[in-house]
Amino acid sequence: MDGLRRFIRYKAADGCIALIDELAAAAAFEQPLAEVEEQVLRLGIMPRRYMRNCLSCDQQLRLLRARICVIGCGGLGGSVADILTRTGVGYLRLIDPDSFEEHNLNRQRFATVATLSQPKVQAARTALMAINPAVNIDAVQAEFCETDVLAAEVVVDALDSAEKRLILAAFCTKYGRSLVHGAVREWYGQVGIATAANNLVAGLYPGAVQESATPSPPQIIAPTVAVIAGMQAAETCKLLLGLPSVLSSSWLSCNLLDCEYELIPDSPSIP
Amino acid sequence: MQLTVKLFAFFRDGRFKEEGREYPAGTKVGEIVADLGIDPDEVGVVMINSLQSSLKATVAEGDNLAIFPVIGGG
Repeated sequence: MDGLRRFIRYKAADGCIALIDELAAAAAFEQPLAEVEEQVLRLGIMPRRYMRNCLSCDQQLRLLRARICVIGCGGLGGSVADILTRTGVGYLRLIDPDSFEEHNLNRQRFATVATLSQPKVQAARTALMAINPAVNIDAVQAEFCETDVLAAEVVVDALDSAEKRLILAAFCTKYGRSLVHGAVREWYGQVGIATAANNLVAGLYPGAVQESATPSPPQIIAPTVAVIAGMQAAETCKLLLGLPSVLSSSWLSCNLLDCEYELIPDSPSIP
Repeated sequence: MQLTVKLFAFFRDGRFKEEGREYPAGTKVGEIVADLGIDPDEVGVVMINSLQSSLKATVAEGDNLAIFPVIGGG
């Protein structure tokens, strides 16, 4: 490892190191790129790809060591995974049983003409590895289970079913994982951090029977997905970095049509 | 009795954003939802004076009632 560190110091300039030098180090010292990046950041050197991230090397190292599970890899999940990969989160576990269909092309980050009928998680993994090969990505084409929640320190709720959201929230409560909730419909969305204390998801979905009320898939326009996914990714990073967030004690209702963004504080229920 | 009803997201379509409305004493939230032609299964969060409530709750003179739809897509 000393040789690797000497190589990194030799190649670094102005406190940064280029990707091509990190790749050369990985090849020369037979180490995964993630390990090279770990050593780079521990030396207080910033990989050039992160130099505009407004984060310190210690913060970037925290993200590199983080383990995130994104449940649902469609609109919200695909965009959240894209942002977290670019930001430098070191491990993503992507869960989705579905494959891309034409009606996904309007808003889902990794739905392209070329990926139609491919499993969403596989298409996402391929694209994400091309963006940031230092990130480890597990692509699981299946419904989520408790193991997925256990595998991560923060879980991102990018599901499209109230019933499944309630099950996921129960798993996260059981294992003490923070759940970054997001949901979209038409020009409207919501985001918040569900914890055992605030019971957020149960409050937002007062009856899973509502599943049957909307048998057809909801209409969703891409800007709503971009806004809510961006907020979910920001909240995930803040949780990992230990930064405070008002969304730990409230949820945000977003109305892109009227440009209204309303923070709803957690409140005790009244009968 | 007079109360203020505030609707969110697509519940505003063909209705209103915020309106003072008159209802008989003892009216329940569910009855107001029905009066507005909203499918109760579409209702998510209901708040009376900023406190989370339910369709079964009874409103009182001067209350502020906020009704949010279920937003479920991902």
